[in-house]
Amino acid sequence: MKFTIPIGPQHPALKEPISLRMTVDGEFIRDADIRLGYNHRGLEKLAEEKTWIQNIYLTERICGICSHSHSTCYVQGVEKLMEITPPKRGNYIRYLVSELERIHSHLLWLGVAGHEAGFDSFFMYTWRDREVVMDILEMISGNRVHYAINTLGGVRRNLDEMQVKKSLEGMEILKKRSEYYFKIGVNEPTFVARLAGVGYLSKQQAIDLCAVGPTARASDIPRDVRRDDPHAVYDEVPFDVCTADTCDVLGRVVVRVKELMESYKICDFLLRNLPAGDIAVKAPRKAKPNEFLSRYEAPRGENTHYIKSNGSDKPERLKVRAPTLANYAATVEMLKNGFIADIPLIFAAIDPCICCAERTVELINGRTGAEKIVRFSELRKLAEDRFKKLPPKRNAVWPL
Amino acid sequence: MKVAVFLPELLRHLFKKPATVDYPFKKLEVPKDFRGSPFLHPGLCIACRACERDCPAEAIEIRSVSEAEKKFEMVIHNDRCIHCAQCVDSCPVTPVKAMEMDHQFEIAGFDRHDLKMKWEFVRAVLKKEPKPAPPKPESSPQSEPAQS
Amino acid sequence: MAVVKTLLYLLVYPGIIFLFVYSTFCEWFDRKVYARLQNRMGPTHTGRWGILQPVADFFKLMSKEDVVPDQADKRLFNLLPIVGLAIVGTSGLLLPVWHFNLAQSGFNSFSGDIIVILYLLSLPTLIFFLAGWSSTNYFSTIGGTRVLTMFFGYEVPLFMAVLSPAILANSWRLAEIAAFYQKKPWFILPNLLGFVIALICVQAKLERTPFDIPHAETEIVGGTFTEYSGKKLAFFRLMTDIELVVSSGLVAAVFLGGFPGGLWLGLLNFVVKTLFVIFLLSLLRAMTSRIRVDQVVSFAWKYLAPLAVLQLLIVILIKGLLL
Repeated sequence: MKFTIPIGPQHPALKEPISLRMTVDGEFIRDADIRLGYNHRGLEKLAEEKTWIQNIYLTERICGICSHSHSTCYVQGVEKLMEITPPKRGNYIRYLVSELERIHSHLLWLGVAGHEAGFDSFFMYTWRDREVVMDILEMISGNRVHYAINTLGGVRRNLDEMQVKKSLEGMEILKKRSEYYFKIGVNEPTFVARLAGVGYLSKQQAIDLCAVGPTARASDIPRDVRRDDPHAVYDEVPFDVCTADTCDVLGRVVVRVKELMESYKICDFLLRNLPAGDIAVKAPRKAKPNEFLSRYEAPRGENTHYIKSNGSDKPERLKVRAPTLANYAATVEMLKNGFIADIPLIFAAIDPCICCAERTVELINGRTGAEKIVRFSELRKLAEDRFKKLPPKRNAVWPL
Repeated sequence: MKVAVFLPELLRHLFKKPATVDYPFKKLEVPKDFRGSPFLHPGLCIACRACERDCPAEAIEIRSVSEAEKKFEMVIHNDRCIHCAQCVDSCPVTPVKAMEMDHQFEIAGFDRHDLKMKWEFVRAVLKKEPKPAPPKPESSPQSEPAQS
Repeated sequence: MAVVKTLLYLLVYPGIIFLFVYSTFCEWFDRKVYARLQNRMGPTHTGRWGILQPVADFFKLMSKEDVVPDQADKRLFNLLPIVGLAIVGTSGLLLPVWHFNLAQSGFNSFSGDIIVILYLLSLPTLIFFLAGWSSTNYFSTIGGTRVLTMFFGYEVPLFMAVLSPAILANSWRLAEIAAFYQKKPWFILPNLLGFVIALICVQAKLERTPFDIPHAETEIVGGTFTEYSGKKLAFFRLMTDIELVVSSGLVAAVFLGGFPGGLWLGLLNFVVKTLFVIFLLSLLRAMTSRIRVDQVVSFAWKYLAPLAVLQLLIVILIKGLLL
């Protein structure tokens, strides 16, 4: 007998509000319905009212974990619009912070996967090691999240000798610890029993549903923007695209740990071969009328920003397509025919960054089917009117 | 498939010091370039309003108190500030910038109006430096100051 | 005089006050060991080394608002925490610490009391199921069904494992079993397999990782306890703590040779042995991740039950050959 369980918008398995309505049949899931819109902040509209410089900080705050991805993707696009190229040292520092962010994001994800599976000790250990990366980032940029190291034309802060040395030491420590996690993840029997065979997404399905990032790479599709579209430093740095072929959550864990090891190698290369020179070029205030689509490999997949300028000092349109939005369709497919007990793991395996992927709420009239998009103030007024019309509640029961 | 593969690591941790710090009785040090709250060196400011224009959160307000004496008043709304340090980068004063970030990170309070800071100052005069020859490419990271 | 003595037994020792104090101490120990295994600090600052933290949690919960859902079965919903606490409190009376007389049976030590204590310890599972059922919340219902599904898995191996030393000691009375192993300590060794099985099954009974699927926080919000708050939740948590003490006391009495030594030494023995068992349980909790309910049942019937039968065979062989 089927009934609908709501997972979210408030649920301990989710770090951000999203509503998944599951139609279940015993312990099996038959269908899933994803509803967005709980965290919509109107950032794309706000970006049209701020100048190019101020938008760097706005795009950074689309997300906390992948903040540098959005900032870099935006700055790459605007630099192309303004036709300036950042100097080599600036590029090296910018993508060094990118790889450090990838490391921190994957370590965070490993901990969250452990916590969703009930493996709290693993969660504590990976987050303890993530502190090493956070300290390095704080030393380089001045803050643990929202690094704000990008600026139009390069980066804002330089790296001196001591910072380079400390970063290299941090990488060494992390390399040893990550190899240990690889061993644990594949060998601890209760953990593997939770992850193996869960959330199956075949290669053809992944291609049809446009999965991106580690979700696609775990289904043996070697899709990586750094390899497909090499720009800035990625044509000089040697690295491999990591794939796995088990197509399930265990494959995604393996892909992310392999990517961790690749990121350590890339950071090592970048730190040892930092070229001398300037860190930024001067950027003009206005950009010529043009449009550009900027792509970037965020820790969760391919991030695209579409930027259009009209000759003034503010953008005309900024559209963000975060990687999680591309993975939602694949998630619905993965959830079908799974167990209820696996919902948090399957959903966490795509590394959801729900605030990146927000879209507006659309009201559909139940009787006529007409659709309209309403303002927040109108929604609030609707809620208050309904509350006033409800019958008064009977007394709640207090005594034990 | 090994059983209890995690066990030696767990037992080793029984004898190590905990990785967590007993905050608020012990605090950690912040690094040198930490971005705390912005503050002004009133004697150096030339009231060009570059920081006010570039602030993404509209957290800086510069008002003219008296035209004749060239007195200005700057209010920094630390409750709106996002601690990005763009004001420090935009400030064109050399060699020491008029805006600087301090190292405070415990700035929570009960009332947002307690977090605003005010300075009154007389506009300073920017000493013109002799242009070095040959002209080097400028290494300042972004937009021109309002004065040129 | 007998009335006063009985009242003292029921209220002070080994009744409610002793169980309350000792179970909060055991919960503190469990949390501290679990935290140190994970390289963090655990409770600090409430009392020296955070010893009063579980007491603080209990009183905080007692002072919170008590919300009963509209469609819940109110009488059942309100009654279950008290009944649960009464059940585990009663089972605590039967542990042979010092207040028994080996020569004659009293109300707290009689032939067959090992069966009574096992029976009383399996009633909380039913209470959890009823708690989930009477809450009429989807998450609670799922939690309740999971509790019962797990029950089918671990109960049989637990009974077989705990009863093997009883068979070797030729008695169904906890005090006599403990006395047997105190006289002949070498006979503890054949029961080691049973000790391991009993530890795993006790972990399942107490619903701790890897078997905490009935109240898996990240999946079903709280499982059977989703709708409980305030005083009722405080009593449920106290019930879980006392269950921890009684189960580890039972395992220590049967496998580790009881608590000899009269009043003070017996109490010390009790504390040391139960803390040892709780240490092992915390280690098990930190070491593994949660497994699904169907995997629990298949693991229990594929591995635990045959091993428990093997343990019985070993005991029967030794009894035949050596005794």
